[in-house]
Amino acid sequence: MGDLTELARKAVDIVLKLGPSDCDVIISDSRFVSAEIEKGSMKQSSAIADPGVGIRVFVKGCSGYSYCTGFDPATVKEVARAAVAQARAGTEDPDFKGLPERQKIGKVEGMYDPRISKLRPDDIVEAAIQLADTAGGDRRITSVNASVGVGTGQVVLANSNGIVATQKMTGFELSAEAVSKSGNDMFSGVDGWWSRRFEPKMSDSIGKNAREHAIMGLKSTKIETGDYPVILDPLAAGFVLGMAIGGGVNAESVQRKRSYLTEKLGSTIGSDVFSVTDDPTLKWASGSYSFDGEGVPGKRKKIVDKGVLRMFIHDSYTAGKEGRMSTGNSSRGGSVWSYRRPPSISPSNLVISSGDSSVDEMLAETKNGVYLRLTYDYPNLVTGEFSGLMMESYRISKGELGPSIRQATIGTHLVAMYKNVDLVGKSSRFVFGVKTPAIRISKAKVGGST
Amino acid sequence: MEDLAESAIAHAIKVGAEFADLRMESTIGTNIVVMDGRTKSLTALRESGCGVRAFIGGAWGFAVTNSLTRQALKQAATSAVGMAKVAQAKAKTKFQIREIKAVRATERYPCKTRPSDVPMEDKVSFVMSLDKAMSRKDPRITSTNAKYDDAEIERVVANSFGSLVLSKEVWALGACSAFARTEGVMQRGHAAFGSVGGYELMGTNQAAMLGDQAAAQALRLLESKPVPAGNFTVVLDSKMSGMLAHEAFGHACEADAIISSSSVLDGRVGQKVADKRISLIDDPTIVNTFGYFSIDWEGVRAKKHVLIENGVLKGYMHNIETSSRMGVEPNGAARAQAYSGTPIIRMSNTYIGKGDRKKDELISDLREGLLIQGAQYGYVEPAKGQFMFKCDEAHHIRKGEIGQRYRDASISGLILEVLNNVEAVGNDFMLGDPGYCGKGGQSARTTDGGPHLCIANMVVGGLA
Repeated sequence: MGDLTELARKAVDIVLKLGPSDCDVIISDSRFVSAEIEKGSMKQSSAIADPGVGIRVFVKGCSGYSYCTGFDPATVKEVARAAVAQARAGTEDPDFKGLPERQKIGKVEGMYDPRISKLRPDDIVEAAIQLADTAGGDRRITSVNASVGVGTGQVVLANSNGIVATQKMTGFELSAEAVSKSGNDMFSGVDGWWSRRFEPKMSDSIGKNAREHAIMGLKSTKIETGDYPVILDPLAAGFVLGMAIGGGVNAESVQRKRSYLTEKLGSTIGSDVFSVTDDPTLKWASGSYSFDGEGVPGKRKKIVDKGVLRMFIHDSYTAGKEGRMSTGNSSRGGSVWSYRRPPSISPSNLVISSGDSSVDEMLAETKNGVYLRLTYDYPNLVTGEFSGLMMESYRISKGELGPSIRQATIGTHLVAMYKNVDLVGKSSRFVFGVKTPAIRISKAKVGGST
Repeated sequence: MEDLAESAIAHAIKVGAEFADLRMESTIGTNIVVMDGRTKSLTALRESGCGVRAFIGGAWGFAVTNSLTRQALKQAATSAVGMAKVAQAKAKTKFQIREIKAVRATERYPCKTRPSDVPMEDKVSFVMSLDKAMSRKDPRITSTNAKYDDAEIERVVANSFGSLVLSKEVWALGACSAFARTEGVMQRGHAAFGSVGGYELMGTNQAAMLGDQAAAQALRLLESKPVPAGNFTVVLDSKMSGMLAHEAFGHACEADAIISSSSVLDGRVGQKVADKRISLIDDPTIVNTFGYFSIDWEGVRAKKHVLIENGVLKGYMHNIETSSRMGVEPNGAARAQAYSGTPIIRMSNTYIGKGDRKKDELISDLREGLLIQGAQYGYVEPAKGQFMFKCDEAHHIRKGEIGQRYRDASISGLILEVLNNVEAVGNDFMLGDPGYCGKGGQSARTTDGGPHLCIANMVVGGLA
């Protein structure tokens, strides 16, 4: 790491000698190894090395960014010149008040699993086979597609205020899709796992979930259009809330009045059982960091407390505009950081506070409703309206989970959804960057096909 | 670059690959973002690297390096073969890559003005003009985003069958988002224009109108209501019929989904899957489109892919692996986002063919339904047979008259049902806006289009 630290310092010096007074440099040296299984057979094993340097320069508040692959000092010099030229070509921005100053950076446990850097390709292949074998363990499963990937990265961040910080990070991902068939009918069950720790034993539950949901989904029904209580599985809750909360509290969107949460700070936006924190210090969570993409220490923050919106998340630019400190939410993307894009505001790990209901209790209290396991729809973050396809969902009748619902949609306003959260599960899992239990919404519009 | 490529391929074969290929790239590009009248970020990128792929007995190994030295490429080739050996040892399904005729060619994308020859100040000035066009349109426009991207990519594709293709790819894209607000209501409008080609694209009327179009849409949506949820007969405009072609059917026609038994269209070639008035095409060879290419990322010459003809499924889109395994000719549908990804089967310009009805008749003949216009995004799970796409705007149609404007409508359906529910096909045709399609963690530039279409029994998701 010593050579990379020196390269980062030198890159800052090169920029400062060219005239600008504010810049930061990220150097990332990452490696990824993965194995993919197609239709139950090992299909591809990959090794990707991705070293590179990104330089951000401010001239009269205007940001210029440039990056290159590799660590060649002569190319880094060219990149520094290019970033300066970019910044000079833009317009003045008096809202830029400066990059972060040096602060003490605490240690975050569970950022780096040394076992991952020692894994051989065979180990990843074995983990993928184990996952696929579990997902395919039923005669009704006709095909299994699965993948396992690991990443290791070393990051150096330096800026013109003297910050020189380093961190090592690892990532581990599992994903499985089991396809079932019965006559002409077909369905698929999917699941995934994301962590900074090598956890091959998670193959058992991820593979089992994919297999069981592929089979559960074969028995299908349709639903009439109407208002129903909806239980969101952690998979659906994580996908929707990650964007709805994470995007809605982005201070850049709020300042530009592009967020449905603009002017809602201090207001009640959810029920008293709905609380959300942003926590980059969560052990082994894939969004954790000891410092953010601008070198600000990561710290845990309450975003929504018992339904009340408590704060927005900032980087140095949006914080400077309001004369406050950055909340440490400048992101360089992914569990292993990249040098390819300038930093942008993002939550680290969103945590939806758990409640006291088991999923069985939530089902028992839902006489006529819907269990939504999977959707891939994005809420409209400007209007706060959310409507999308229930890609995998099940009918709940008399408190019991029934057949899967085909061709049905869900629609609600996000604030109404938060206010309608009436039951919260007691066990959570980490999905799509969000640690969340299952939650029940007392009412949402379901568009059916009958 | 060509010499380095061929020596890396030769090394991969020497150390044990049955087949090997690579993509070596050197890319420069620009990204400009202007927000609310000020430049937000200006990015200049400079990338180079190579991805080497090796095949042994039913499995692939893939290795990527960011260094284009002879030594680094040799190491990447060795690593790819090593990874292939590890994978092949555990592969249950064995198959071969069938030899295809080598292609040795140089492909230059049409370009009058290389983006890299245009001063950054000129590009900034263009994006600022788009931003200004939005903000000056109406005082209710409260926030604006204008964006410009270009890329110039030199790519060498080489394989052990002797193919060696040098592509000089260039494209440029402009896009605008306008945010309108009145009495607590906020709406967003957007517009995009771009294609393969040079900076001359940004000098066209279409580019100049982007800001005005985005702002006008945001203002129109201020007058809209949430769409009612339910089951409707819908008239789709060209952009939405293009998205239907792409999401509802195109993905399920990608042969990798067929090989992995993850598509409901598996085994249905020759069967009726749509109304007889429906044809569905994917054609990368249409010049001056965002989805254009003439040679794919495996060095195979691209072809027009007729997927559905007169309602009958005719075939799938292939790469060299799926064509080998299914015993058909490859048809040049493989692309990779960059050298760091393996080429996978992608759509290009996907559209539904013209019909015989005037588009106005599709509306005037409808007693009750929705007119659905403008495509935001969509997705599909071919194994579940379900798709969804979201429109920009919708209107109520009653007794042939267009009425109330709606927003945020999501339309969903079943792959095997939707094109059998077609009630009328318009005789108009338009390819829609440039866009990106995501698959397997990679994005590919695409365009979709078609005529106006009338379809019964579509599930519309909404809040009302």
